[in-house]
Amino acid sequence: MHELSPMAFAISSSIKVFLVFSVSLAVVAFMTLTERKVAGFIQDRLGPNRVGPFGLLQPVADGIKNFLKEETMPATANRPFFIMAPMLAIIPAVVTFAVIPFAAPLPTPWGVVGMVVADIPIGILYVLALSSLGVYGLFLAGWASNNKYALLGGVRSSSQMVSYEVALGLSLIPVFMLAGNVTLTEIVWQQQLLGMWYLFPLSLAFIFFVISAFAETNRLPFDLPEAESELVTGYHTEYSAMKFSMFMIAEFSHILTASALMATLFLGGWSIPFWSGDHMFWYQGMLISGFGADGAPVAAAPALWITLLTLLSFIVKTLFFILVFMWVRWTLPRFRYDQVMHLGWKVMLPIALAYVMIIAATILVLDQVGIEGFLFGAVLTLVSLLCTGIFVFAVDRDRIISGSTREPAPPAPRSPVPSGAGVRRVLPAGSPASGDL
Amino acid sequence: MELEFTSRVDYIWALLPEIVLSIGAMVVLLVGVFREADDDPAAGDASPLGWISLIALAAAAMANGWLTGIPVASASPMVAVDPFRLFANWIFLGGAGLTILLSFPYVTRQRLQAGEFYTLILLCTVGMMFMASARDLLLLFLGVETMSIAAYVLTAFNRRDRRSSEAGLKYFLLGAFSSAFLLYGIALTWGATGTTNLLEIGEAVAGGAAVPGLIMAGMGLLAIGFAFKVAAVPFHMWTPDVYEGAPTPSTAFMAATVKAASFVAFARLFMEAFPALYDSWSTVFWWLAALTMIIPNVVALSQSNVKRMLAYSSIAHGGYLLVALTAANEMATAGLLFYLLVYSIMNIGALAVVMVASGHAEERLQIGDYAGFGWAQPMLGVVFTIFLLSLAGFPGTGGFMAKIYLLQGAAESELWTLAVVLALATVVSYYYYLRVAWYMWMRPAAPDLTHEEVWVPLPMRMGLVASAAILIFLGIFPGGIIDLARAATHGFFLAGVLP
Amino acid sequence: MSSAYLPVLMLFGVSVLNAVGMVVASQVLNPRRATPEKDMPYESGMIPLGDTRARFSVKFYMVAISFIIFDLEAIFLIPWAVEMRALGWGGFVAVSIFMMVLVVGFVYEWKKGGLDWE
Repeated sequence: MHELSPMAFAISSSIKVFLVFSVSLAVVAFMTLTERKVAGFIQDRLGPNRVGPFGLLQPVADGIKNFLKEETMPATANRPFFIMAPMLAIIPAVVTFAVIPFAAPLPTPWGVVGMVVADIPIGILYVLALSSLGVYGLFLAGWASNNKYALLGGVRSSSQMVSYEVALGLSLIPVFMLAGNVTLTEIVWQQQLLGMWYLFPLSLAFIFFVISAFAETNRLPFDLPEAESELVTGYHTEYSAMKFSMFMIAEFSHILTASALMATLFLGGWSIPFWSGDHMFWYQGMLISGFGADGAPVAAAPALWITLLTLLSFIVKTLFFILVFMWVRWTLPRFRYDQVMHLGWKVMLPIALAYVMIIAATILVLDQVGIEGFLFGAVLTLVSLLCTGIFVFAVDRDRIISGSTREPAPPAPRSPVPSGAGVRRVLPAGSPASGDL
Repeated sequence: MELEFTSRVDYIWALLPEIVLSIGAMVVLLVGVFREADDDPAAGDASPLGWISLIALAAAAMANGWLTGIPVASASPMVAVDPFRLFANWIFLGGAGLTILLSFPYVTRQRLQAGEFYTLILLCTVGMMFMASARDLLLLFLGVETMSIAAYVLTAFNRRDRRSSEAGLKYFLLGAFSSAFLLYGIALTWGATGTTNLLEIGEAVAGGAAVPGLIMAGMGLLAIGFAFKVAAVPFHMWTPDVYEGAPTPSTAFMAATVKAASFVAFARLFMEAFPALYDSWSTVFWWLAALTMIIPNVVALSQSNVKRMLAYSSIAHGGYLLVALTAANEMATAGLLFYLLVYSIMNIGALAVVMVASGHAEERLQIGDYAGFGWAQPMLGVVFTIFLLSLAGFPGTGGFMAKIYLLQGAAESELWTLAVVLALATVVSYYYYLRVAWYMWMRPAAPDLTHEEVWVPLPMRMGLVASAAILIFLGIFPGGIIDLARAATHGFFLAGVLP
Repeated sequence: MSSAYLPVLMLFGVSVLNAVGMVVASQVLNPRRATPEKDMPYESGMIPLGDTRARFSVKFYMVAISFIIFDLEAIFLIPWAVEMRALGWGGFVAVSIFMMVLVVGFVYEWKKGGLDWE
């Protein structure tokens, strides 16, 4: 199977760009509906069910409404930045999906088309770079609104996203170690070769990635930037109609991208478990399905049905994580801001650093001993489980994350309130306010 | 053992003093912050951390001494292991040690955060040592920045004092400005020669391979950048304010050791990279030297604030040192090293006395406040007088011999006018140095001044007396040190590039 | 190889058009009936008090500075991580030294209270 000619590459790329763009926007639109349906399910009610069958046309109605509603903008707002902010938020959110492979390569009469918009060599670094650009949109929105709630929301969101960016980056390091590359196609391929999703050998990295992804997308339990009970709606307090909608689209696109990334990095991407028929990778200009006993590459046989099946696999995995996002959102309460910072800096950062070194040392030892294949993965799994155990022990609320970072006042002599956990859970006077700023 | 720079381990040996000192700085930082966290009642006392810092400096000095005996098989690409660097390291380590030893009472009294203060001094010293060893423009720049950033913070260290914050900001802005000049100079030099290695630049320039206009522009920008760092007139505007506002130990450290490091790097840069362009840069340096000797000496005459007077005096000393750079022969370069050594001791010593005499909030800085100081504190009075005499270049002190060597170097290059200016400037400087001594011994103390309360712990007393003794010793028997300095610069100038 | 970036550029162009289009379309379609009350920043129905551009807590700056250091650390680790198995123990030791220096800084910041939110 040969590669595409430049012309065919350009044409197939344009088709993929438009398909991915429109499909991801459509998915985002229906995610809003899903979120409300899930909320309805969890809260034992129906959710939207008036527009179309089962409320399926609700996103369309919302879209039309948002285009036609009146927009307000405070007279004191900084006009150019106020308009720029939602654009800055939505552009990186939509563009990020470009490097995520979503199916096995598809054979066409003009050559094999890789099922990824852009298989660029910087791979996931592109995702990291663009997703951190999202901070600008949120902060600018908060600042340009000239509204106190919005400013607080913007400041909070930028410092929260920045804090968890560190843990996010560190949680990716073990993945790079195992895959030996930063492109997502190769990360998928290496998982196929290992015969094991990275979820198992790198379980702690996965947990950190999920936590950081929640914080990066400003979703509950990390939705402090828009904590409605404190800050109205945070950085987009002053936004209405379509501009508000753009922030929502950006947030849901981030969730979509984060879910797809989790599936790709830790759940084998589009590959189907326990089946080697879908192993495919571009190796020195040739699509291979693996290496023979003599180390020579074996050519792969791409087929339409394999592509469709792997696409389904990718959709199922991504959808699973999207549902996890919503499930968490309607289940967990919100952190206090000091807890968010504590978790990010004092728990996740040091443990992630230690974990990187532990995994590196383990891999080097295993390489030296000469262990490969399944056993290699199994040993790493054991080590990671141990680390995960330690981490779970560390985040246990009563040990490190206590009810408040303030030490409880020493109990007064002969106090009627017994000392201990009961006292700890009582917030000291004024602490919620001090948690704000 | 021999350093061949074939494996990376050789670089570790070549940079051992820097590595040891960096580790020491980190230890001091951690010990300091843990002491603070413990709520140790003695946490206010700076001396334990100071002693740890001195041990770190001593360890780095041992590494430096060990490196002196190691032969080098090949010229390394980035790190110079030559006697010039090692001699310069002695100056830096000694200056840092003296500053730390003499700053115990000040740091304790002003309730500065001792851990951070000493860490910054040590890291600043690491930067200087990198500057002395850098045979590559990028390493040189990293050294300059390590040193400068630590120095900015040291200047602004007393955050309860507005003068200190103001001085820190001024220093930072102008320092960043000069760093930009340096970087542009590095970029243009690299563009002109295609290399950042000093020796290779020297070869390219001598061989005519360098792009003529670019290399002159690059060299000019590098010279401006370093002229800022050594506070040469007309790039000295920041100096008086910064030296006056900074906490006095920082002033002593900056005026002596930071300046020494800048001069050492300045000398290496121009003598290794641009010897072929000597005719071009020596003219510029001639004017820089002449202006830097004349203007600050004249301005210092009218200063009534002793710290500010010493700031101008340190600019003037930069002028004398620029004479050595202009002369650029072996004698002058040896004289430069000798002068830097003597100057570090006497300047730190003088400012250490100012440090203890100036009172709790540095309020007694006027010259009138020194009236009767000598009789009230005879020991301090005597050593301060020795430091001032040495700064002035009085016969019998190290400062005199240092100037003699500079004059000798200038004479060898037949810079007669500069030599005359140097001598005349020295004579002018006698007035403002000796005026302080005169106030100290000849004027009765004002009734409200209580010089008896000056607190000088024993280690500081010993340090001051030892410094004064060294100055006298060097004034009478300079032979050993100047021979070492000559050995350090032997074959250094022009680095074998000129035919 | 640079042609691999072509689709990225295309997607970027499409999403910029999309973002601008959304703003312009809503600008064209929506009615605008401004009143002084509507033009006021929302402050829970009250007339806004004081200046919004007030100073906020220095903690946020601390977070920003710490971020620069530790995110750069993570970025510096990526090239090593990719080539980790080829670099072997030599690379591991080098990275450990690099990390130790940063850990010293981290411990210092922690002890100094730079990571506390009170």
